[in-house]
Amino acid sequence: MEDRELDSWREQWSSVAEPPAEFQRKVQQRIKRQERRFVLGNLLTVIAFLGMLIFGVFMRHQSIWMGTGWGTGICVLVFVSAAYRIWIMRGTWRPQTQSTRAFVELWHKRVTARIRLLRISMYVSLGWIIFCAVLTAANWATIGQDVGAHPKAWVVLLVVCVLMQYPVIWYGAVWLRRRKLAELNEVRKIMDEMDGKSLP
Amino acid sequence: MSEHRQALEKQFARILGEYGAAISRLAFSYEAVASVREELVQEIALAIWQALAHFRGDCSERTFVYRIAHNRGLSHVGRRRPAHQPLEELEESEQPVDPRPHLEEQVARTDQRAQLMSAIQSLPAIHRQMIVLAFEGLSHAEIAEVMGITENNVAVRLTRVRKALKDALGVRP
Repeated sequence: MEDRELDSWREQWSSVAEPPAEFQRKVQQRIKRQERRFVLGNLLTVIAFLGMLIFGVFMRHQSIWMGTGWGTGICVLVFVSAAYRIWIMRGTWRPQTQSTRAFVELWHKRVTARIRLLRISMYVSLGWIIFCAVLTAANWATIGQDVGAHPKAWVVLLVVCVLMQYPVIWYGAVWLRRRKLAELNEVRKIMDEMDGKSLP
Repeated sequence: MSEHRQALEKQFARILGEYGAAISRLAFSYEAVASVREELVQEIALAIWQALAHFRGDCSERTFVYRIAHNRGLSHVGRRRPAHQPLEELEESEQPVDPRPHLEEQVARTDQRAQLMSAIQSLPAIHRQMIVLAFEGLSHAEIAEVMGITENNVAVRLTRVRKALKDALGVRP
């Protein structure tokens, strides 16, 4: 059956916009840029990984009171970061090639997980501050001597670590969480539309 | 360069040639600001390139392209923040250039088209997607495949979306 209304809309629709000028060339440039960034990113990761590993091993062999703890911490952090990057890189299932419903459902799951992770990380960072304070208090006999010997250096360390770094991390996480919550609202709206809740 | 890579690049260039205009139209339904839209079109093309190596022909190439394009468009809608839109750019965005001659006819067409565009942009994202796929000439079965819903559902919802579009255009039944 002839559908004049749809045909007329189609005609108007199909006369809209050609691809932007030099579209293909610009896309090719972006692909090359992205590939270069990918190679550079991997190279920097390997360099950082090796550097941190050497530093960690070096610290482990130092006789200063924090040496072993720092070294082990850095080694663990480096291995966790490397494993995470590999895990991200091997994510071959590309949700963008799935149907809209599968894509939106996965998107919802990911945003929810990210928000949960952010909330947990905020509590973890708070717990970390408390843990550090307790550790410092427990080892005050050793640390106190060092503080007495280099008071200026310790004041700088305190300002940098506690007064600057943590608020930045804290507010960064709060800001990111707010953005993710806004995204979650949008995804929920799209899911409602998907279920046909937005039309009479 | 490996043969596989060359074949991929050839396929990608063909896809861009074949679907470039459709991708631009589709981006129109997700973004009103010209400069941001151009960015979106490039991002869709980039997403197609990234997914192309994993395309095993589980669906038709057309379905594959439209799925990626719409999913990318939806993430654009979901992640964008309301930004300040320069007025000149918005006006320019609503009146795409038609290369065809005959000035009066062209003005009338541009006006109709601008109204249609603005009506489409006023629809909820999923309904925009549905009507755009119908405008691109996809069958109900193909729309169902792109969206992950049943054909019957497509038919029912398309009727409602058309009614909503008519309302937005101010067409009386």
